[in-house]
This record gives sequence, C-alpha cells and structure tokens, in this order.
Amino acid sequence: MLHITNLHKSFGDKDVLRGLNLSVPEHSIYGFIGKNGSGKTTTMKTVLGLLKSDAGEIKVNGESVCYGQTATNRYIGYLPDVPEFYPFMTAPEYLTFCGEVTGMRKSDIAKRSEELLTLVGLADEKHRIRGFSRGMKQRLGIAQALFNRPKLLICDEPTSALDPIGRKEILDILLAIRDETTVLFSTHILSDVERICTDVAFLTGGVVRVCGKLSDIKSKYRSEGYILEAENVEDMLKLLQAFPDIKQIGGNQLVFRENGVTVFDVLHFLTDKHIRLLKLERIEPTLESLFMEVTEE
Amino acid sequence: MKSLLAFTKKEITSQLRSVRLIILGILFVLLGVMNTAIAKLTPLLLDAVSDTISQSGISITPVTVSALDSWMQFFKNIPLGLIVFILLESDIFTREYRSGTLIPPLTKGLARHNVVISKAVVLTTLWTLCYWLCFVITYCCNAYFWDNSVAQNLMFSVVCWWLFGLWVTVSAVFFSTVAKSNIIVLAGVGCSILALYLLSFIPELKAYLPIMLTDGNSLISGIEKAKTYNSAIIITGVLTIAYLAVSFPVFNKRNL
Repeated sequence: MLHITNLHKSFGDKDVLRGLNLSVPEHSIYGFIGKNGSGKTTTMKTVLGLLKSDAGEIKVNGESVCYGQTATNRYIGYLPDVPEFYPFMTAPEYLTFCGEVTGMRKSDIAKRSEELLTLVGLADEKHRIRGFSRGMKQRLGIAQALFNRPKLLICDEPTSALDPIGRKEILDILLAIRDETTVLFSTHILSDVERICTDVAFLTGGVVRVCGKLSDIKSKYRSEGYILEAENVEDMLKLLQAFPDIKQIGGNQLVFRENGVTVFDVLHFLTDKHIRLLKLERIEPTLESLFMEVTEE
Repeated sequence: MKSLLAFTKKEITSQLRSVRLIILGILFVLLGVMNTAIAKLTPLLLDAVSDTISQSGISITPVTVSALDSWMQFFKNIPLGLIVFILLESDIFTREYRSGTLIPPLTKGLARHNVVISKAVVLTTLWTLCYWLCFVITYCCNAYFWDNSVAQNLMFSVVCWWLFGLWVTVSAVFFSTVAKSNIIVLAGVGCSILALYLLSFIPELKAYLPIMLTDGNSLISGIEKAKTYNSAIIITGVLTIAYLAVSFPVFNKRNL
C-alpha cells in the first residue's frame, strides 16, 4: 500500500531523514515507532505531499507521490497529531465540508456523516467545534480521515495527549476499521502498539532500524536474555569470574544475553561446580526493551 | 470545481459567523453616514464657536456646504476603512497556517490553487461590498440634503479608489502566501504602500503609481481630468493581476 525508498529530508543543517525505507502491507495496522523528534511527522507529511523531500521515492497504491499537487492523497485519510478544525462549524457541518471537498454526492455525504459520527460517538453532539475537548477533536479527526473510505489511514500520534479512556476509544476505533483500510500509526506509546499493531517499524537516526511483523520481531528477540539468581554471594562471584559477559543487576541477581555465552554453558558450569540457583528465568522481551535497544544503538 | 465551491462556501461561512463582519459592517455604515454628517455639521459648529472666535478679532464668514464637501470627506475617511479592513482580514491565510486547519482539506485532494482563489474571491468581494455600502449611504444622504451632480467625475473617482483598495487587498493575499504570520503580511502591505507614497514625490512618476488613484478630491473638484488617471489605472490593474498570478506558484511550493 505504501512504499518509501531512500527518503532524505533535512531542515537547514539538521538531517531528519537519512535514507528511510518503509513498506506498509495492505490491511495491516502498522506501528511507526520513534522518539520525539525522530522524524515520524516529517515522514508522514512527506507522504502527504505537505513537505518536499530532498531525495527518495514514495509510492501510495502504486502511484508516485508529488509534492504540492498531491493526487495520491485521494487514497489517504490523515489524522494530524493535533487535529484542528474550523471552530465555527459543528461536527456534521465539518464532515459535510469534507465530503464536498472530495466531490461526493449530497446523499452519500449525509449517509456517510451519520455512519461515521455514530462510529466515533459524536452523533448527538450539536455544539460547534470551538467547544470540543481534545478527545472529541481526535474522534472527529478519525471521522474526517475515514470520510472518503481511504485505502490508507495515516494517524500521527493519535493517542499521545489523551487520557486512558480517550486512548482506549481511539484504539478501539482503529481496530474496528482494520478490515476496510490499512493504518499507519505513529506513536511512542508502546502499549498502544502492542495492543493493536500487526507490524512495526522503529525509526531512529533518520532510518528504520528494525521492521516487520510484530509477532516475528518479538519471537526473534525472545530467547536472547536470561536472569539468574544465586543462593549466596560466593556463588555469584564464581559465575561473574567464569563468565565476563554476565552482569550483576542487584543483590545476587545476574543477567546475560546469549550473544557471548549460551545458557547451556552456564548450566554446565553450574552442574560442574555444584552451584544451586534460586531462579533461572528467560527474559520475555517487551517492545520497550527492544525500543531502548534500537534507539541506543 | 466542486471542491472550489465547497471551500468558498466555507470561507463565506467563516466570515458570516465571525465578529469581523459585524465590525466591518458597523464601520463602513458609520463612515458612510459620517461623510455627510461632518459636512452638514461644519457650518453649525463654526456658528457655535464664531462668537468666541470673533472676540479674539477673527471674523468668520458664513460657510455654505454642498455635496462636494461630503465627497471630500468620503475620500478623507475611506483610508481608515481600508486600514481596518486589512487589519481584520490580514490573517485569512495565516490563522489557517497557525492552527493547521488547511491540512485536512488539502490531504483530501483540495487543490492548493483553489485555496488561493477562494480566499482572494471572498476577500475582494468583501472589500467591494464594504466600500460600495459606504458609497451608497453617502450618496443617498447627500442626495437627501444636496445635489450630487456638483461633484465632477464622481463615479470615476470612486471607482479609482475602489481599484486601489482592490490592489491593496490582493497584495495582502500575495503576502499571505509568502508570510507565516499576519504581522509580516501587514508589514508587506504597509511597506508597499509606503514605497508608493515616497515614489509619488517624484513628479514624473506620480501619474503611473497606484497611489494616484486615491486622489479623488482633485477629480471631483475638477482640478484633474479623468484621463490623467489612465496610466495609473492600467498599472494598478496589471499589478493586481501580477500579485494574484504570483500567489499561485508561491503557495504551491509552500511547506505546510
């Protein structure tokens, strides 16, 4: 649905994107993860033709994206990080405006407005947008982004500024529309990603470091780490002396990754030396630990 | 075309639901009434203070006013209307840049040139309505008290001033496509007018500058002939079209 190849973008002397590659498969909910200022919004705005890239190619539904007059936007729905709408309009008026801008027929506009306002829970809201809360604006933002049944929905940190209830509402809506549209969803809230995303990409240093199916990534990193807890200090010191790659993490607890030493080496050593353990536990990788690892590289 | 109409409808709704339109309406109605009122009240005011002034040795002869005095007031007062109009409307683009409200319609396929067309049409129409509202009120009030025919080239002089306002309005559109804030838009428009004003001190240039069109008093009192304004009219028209034409590519290239 979306293919980005070797995307470069700088602002003055600051290189924000340095050869970013990304491929978003159809009907996925794609988590685009990165720290604040890592270039997520820049990437999204470039896909939307709102920013001009310095180099690289972007294809949406097989068509190249052009800056300025961006015809590929007919495939895209966009929810900005801080969605702002005309404050003098009501929610139905705004959706009617969206329908008219996209050239839909009046009868379709009325029907679609009703559907979407019900989906996002604003069907009974009669006030002007001026009085809307952040969460209500975010929900209206999703409704306007979905108005012309886009093939690709781009959401820029849709849950960042919301309370837990507001976040849940937005995530539920994104889950509900998965069958109709592909979702590219930037965030730094990793629990949201774990909850709804099928695929993820980690953006750091202006490039995508790790990307793929969330389940594949989690299983790939699953068997790498172990925590063990010795019965006493002497046993712990023996292990530390025998295996320099093992690190102490507090008390008699030690941690190691299977890149220098394997769990079988450790088990052999424990058997040979008759060392008893209180605990040996495989570390279940969280997205957070993976994120930290990727961003610290 | 549908998206152009939709965006223009949005612009009109924005004007109708804002306090700006009320302020502009009140201002231009007041200006229209004041032109006649000031002319009408001038002899009464002078009469009221004549006793005091005559005690100091200055004698005041009775003043007769006509529609000409009222039209002179019109050309003195209308710059205030234009200044307030530009002050209130100078953020027509920049408030959308600031809030990001242009992003959703643009990402729905609204062509960028439609944004410029809609805003320019609404702004110039609004200027036209305000200006001619003021004119019609002054004309009717003058017709009630005096005879408007004493003012020579009245329609021509009024159209000249409207054209000057139109050029200023379109220049605000152009500066809005370049600038990020309305302060820069105001600075751009202000500097353009100041530059023209300074250039008008060169006698050879004056007849070619848009600022010439603001000299309505010389026309209605018969000091200048209408044909003297022809060059300024053509140049103002060309500049207006040029400002508008340049606005499109500038806005197309703008990062939003």
